[in-house]
Amino acid sequence: MSGSYENQKNKWKQNVDKTLQKFPERKEPFETSSGIPVHRLYEPEKPEDGYLEKLGFPGAYPYTRGIQPTMYRSRHWTMRQYAGFGSAKETNERFRYLLDQGQTGLSVAFDLPTQIGYDSDDPMAEGEVGKVGVAIDSLEDMEQLFAEIPLNKVSTSMTINAPASILLAMYIAVGEKQGVAKEKLTGTIQNDILKEYIARGTYIYPPESSMRIITDIFSYCQENLPKFNTISISGYHIREAGATAVQEVAFTLANGMAYVDAALAAGLEIDQFAPRLAFFFNAHNQFFEEAAKYRAARRMWAKIMKEKYNAQDPKSWKMRFHTQTGGSTLTAQQPDNNIVRVTVQALAAIMGGTQSLHTNSKDEALALPTEDSARIALRTQQILAHESGVTETVDPLAGSYFVESLTDEIEEKANEYIKRIDEFGGAVKAVEAGYMQREIHQTAYETQKDIEKGEDVIVGVNEFTIDEEVEPELLRVDEKLEKNQVEATERIRENRDADAVADSLKKLREAAVNNENLMPFIVEAVKVYATVGEIANVLREEFGEYTAM
Amino acid sequence: MEPIRVLIAKPGLDGHDRGALIIAQGLRDAGMEVIYTGLRQSPEQIAQAAIQEDVNVIGLSSLSGAHKTLFPKVVEALRANNAEDIPVIGGGVIPTEDIPYLEEKGVRKIFTSGTAMSDTATFIKQLVQGEETPPPNKISHIGIAVQHLEQALPFYQHSLGLPLESVETVEEEKVKVAFFPIGDTRIELLEPMDEDSPIQKFIDKKGEGIHHIALDVDNIEKRISLFKEQGISMLNETPKQGAHDSRIAFLHPKAGQGVLYELCEEKQEG
Repeated sequence: MSGSYENQKNKWKQNVDKTLQKFPERKEPFETSSGIPVHRLYEPEKPEDGYLEKLGFPGAYPYTRGIQPTMYRSRHWTMRQYAGFGSAKETNERFRYLLDQGQTGLSVAFDLPTQIGYDSDDPMAEGEVGKVGVAIDSLEDMEQLFAEIPLNKVSTSMTINAPASILLAMYIAVGEKQGVAKEKLTGTIQNDILKEYIARGTYIYPPESSMRIITDIFSYCQENLPKFNTISISGYHIREAGATAVQEVAFTLANGMAYVDAALAAGLEIDQFAPRLAFFFNAHNQFFEEAAKYRAARRMWAKIMKEKYNAQDPKSWKMRFHTQTGGSTLTAQQPDNNIVRVTVQALAAIMGGTQSLHTNSKDEALALPTEDSARIALRTQQILAHESGVTETVDPLAGSYFVESLTDEIEEKANEYIKRIDEFGGAVKAVEAGYMQREIHQTAYETQKDIEKGEDVIVGVNEFTIDEEVEPELLRVDEKLEKNQVEATERIRENRDADAVADSLKKLREAAVNNENLMPFIVEAVKVYATVGEIANVLREEFGEYTAM
Repeated sequence: MEPIRVLIAKPGLDGHDRGALIIAQGLRDAGMEVIYTGLRQSPEQIAQAAIQEDVNVIGLSSLSGAHKTLFPKVVEALRANNAEDIPVIGGGVIPTEDIPYLEEKGVRKIFTSGTAMSDTATFIKQLVQGEETPPPNKISHIGIAVQHLEQALPFYQHSLGLPLESVETVEEEKVKVAFFPIGDTRIELLEPMDEDSPIQKFIDKKGEGIHHIALDVDNIEKRISLFKEQGISMLNETPKQGAHDSRIAFLHPKAGQGVLYELCEEKQEG
């Protein structure tokens, strides 16, 4: 055993040396305020049986201690604040502001019509245009969104699911106009439809067609956008809808396996697409359970990929994930308290080894964040990164009896759920049967009852309340925006080459019918300024629309 | 009594239905029949569903910021279908400053984040049953405890110049009362008839002064049972005889932050 331990440790050391050439550590040496040196890694004095199987070394299977050998000693996580509201022009200004403030990646929030494939002038869009994110109808909006932001210099995460292919196509087209080849583009599309049926609600098509669009994207990106994350398999919204930490892990990994199964069924090779799968988790208030959750999820995914799917490339085993702090934990009462909640949650995500992080703004229980509150949220990450010292050694919670025990138990309990989902025939079938939805709702309802009975204390809500009269300053989306956006889209329709649009949509329809990869046709359609709604409608007509039970 | 029927609806494109689902179940547990529309309902669809399902109230949920457009449209759609008698309430992520606008547009009440399910349930019960039980008509009278009527009368009669309407004794309460009409209401002076009179006990404890405010109501029994359902405790759970052959019942003073309220149903004329 110890021979193998030394063996693994040497591998880790070699791995560290290799990493340091590319990403040197931020300081040399790291030490505490008292001058005590902080080592890269702390290990058990006498590694017990099972240590290598359960924990291993950072950057090595099963990745419980993190996916990189030096973690945050070399590079902090990517600070990626989700932003978007109103028009493309306004959002572009917020993006450039955030980049100026030291943010290192972009994250686009789209409005609901865009997310559900309606143009701003569709009757279904009324009242929703530009409200929860930016309104994108045509390539022109997308060009404005990224004006003066070189796409070869930023990585962009797009929270877009049912129409992910359309927005990705627009991103490719904007890159092309800027002179950036698609092979160079980096970023992530959420593209996780299963959790839309389960928890988030922005589905369009029935599961089978949706899964086909997703595997089309996998396949297209494998050849054309090798650096782009083709999906962000998201537990975030499952948790927001009321799930426990265990349910979050279980349902997310079950969905992950469904995508892998679909891609394999579509004839893709596991080690070709698996390295581009990314994950997205929530961070709630129970600090140790959250930190353990990420560690458990990473270990479970590694095992699933290696043992169940027989992936050979270590890149396929690594779970890379983004974290966002928990929106549903924020309170409308005494909103300043939310800064503290966000700090605890962000710290848990960092202790769990996240690759990127969004910290919520304190006013999100009331409205979209103002610029001031968005800055405090970013500063929270920067304080944790630069002042707290928690980033100076890899996986500092490892070996805590409590944390390791929690990690094991989360894995065990999540596996029980996954087994139940397997009995349904996998996540797609379980979603269609409403299984996850019911489980989540039950948990949400119990939680609410506990809060109302006062069994769970929520500071400022059911305890430590005060009479508040001060209404904080809130960001309001200009009511004129919807009208302006509708007019702009109508103008586009008048000025574009109508024949080229009709032709591109006809070809897209044929591709849909003939089971060809849709992506190249969508790229062609967006380039001639076919709108999100027009493209989505062609597919609606061919695939039908999903309605929840 | 027939259970209250509630339509919980998600107008617009918002997919966040955790709150809608929780409130639906909470209201079911409170004994109501709840129909949930599911996501992406247009105002017209919601109005139609409410009419077809014959609901007593509609609860709208929106977290996407579209409430200012969509909530009033539901009210309008009801009106267009001659169903404006179905009250509309709402909840979700709604800034406090939007509430007056929504109420002006006909939304009866907005519940913001952090509202207990039980508060919403109570409100709906009041709202629905309150449709048949209108609010009190006016202040029937203000009761003032005095030790000796004859010492108090000159101020009211001569200094204020109010006409003395009547003086009578209410044996049940062991009081002698004098009424002065003033505008649409009255001042009632109460003099204890003996040591055991509640008015004497009041004067011993607090001295002379305002004793109670009486609210003029119709259908006093129904009002009492409504209060009891809301957990408001009554000093008299069945109406008793008051002055002028009225029927009265007192609320526990803790219901009104220490003010003793009397419900008073006047004798029907003719």
